[in-house]
Amino acid sequence: MAGSDVGAPRQARHGKKLHKGRRRLNVRIDMTPMVDVVMLLITFFMLTTVFNRPQTMEINMPGDETPVEVAESNLLTLRVAKGDQLYWNFGVEPPQVIEFPKLRPMLVQSLAANPKLICLVKVDRASTYKSMVDVMDELNLASITRFSLAPFRDFDRQLIEGTASP
Amino acid sequence: MRKRKGRISIFIDMTPMVDVVMLLLTFFMLTTHFKPPAEAEIVLPVSNSVIKLPESDVLTITVSKDERVYLNVDSQRLRGELFGTEHQLSGGVRIETSEQLATLLMRARSLNPKLRTVLKGDKGAPYGPIQDVMDVLQKVKITRFNLVTELEQG
Repeated sequence: MAGSDVGAPRQARHGKKLHKGRRRLNVRIDMTPMVDVVMLLITFFMLTTVFNRPQTMEINMPGDETPVEVAESNLLTLRVAKGDQLYWNFGVEPPQVIEFPKLRPMLVQSLAANPKLICLVKVDRASTYKSMVDVMDELNLASITRFSLAPFRDFDRQLIEGTASP
Repeated sequence: MRKRKGRISIFIDMTPMVDVVMLLLTFFMLTTHFKPPAEAEIVLPVSNSVIKLPESDVLTITVSKDERVYLNVDSQRLRGELFGTEHQLSGGVRIETSEQLATLLMRARSLNPKLRTVLKGDKGAPYGPIQDVMDVLQKVKITRFNLVTELEQG
């Protein structure tokens, strides 16, 4: 059994050291229930505590609506259409379909060919949030830091439909 | 009488163990941050970004899979000031219109200018509501915000 002895066993009844009426009592405290409770509390805190804070991706948006002039040859447009289908084109070229795994090599190559590259990402409203995060992640991994998000308009939809059925 | 080899009474002194356990308990009690109550189950998208979420002064805009938008702040006091005391312990309020979101964002920013905005979207959520939220953020001049993601494994 667990316990701790507090004080000495009573024996020195006739000793001089004895204070007035006080005797030392032999108190044994059983710690088992306390340990049980404390262990329960520990498990509770260990299970509820959140150690890993989630990761985040930072976005900086342009503050005001000042249009930025970009040379068409430096502009790479990435479009994410409905169904998470990816299209890309330089300047005013017609958009081309690209598979997601091929996106990063393409981005790295284009950046190597043109260091002044600026990327424009247009995501269809009917597409998913995941595809947008994926595309932005690929841009970050390809170290293209200058990109902007633009609304996906009907014009873009028509452009893509034009390439889908030539 | 039986043989002398009877039961040996074993005293285990638990005091050192209790000391250690108490230390652990205080550690966990002091370091713990309770998981904030979430009003919607969010499956985060994965990315390779390694920027950590700030620990305090966080304003979270949640977009669930079924296009519902919620606004929440991490401090209980600010939550009470912003949404009224009945929402102090809740997991944020539901946002219906973008005007409502804009006014609440501006009030939150004026109450605590250090607030960092975080957008937490479900990975299956459509892009439409996310775009609307980002438009509102741009309108109220919150130009820097974070997207909550999970670290990609492997």
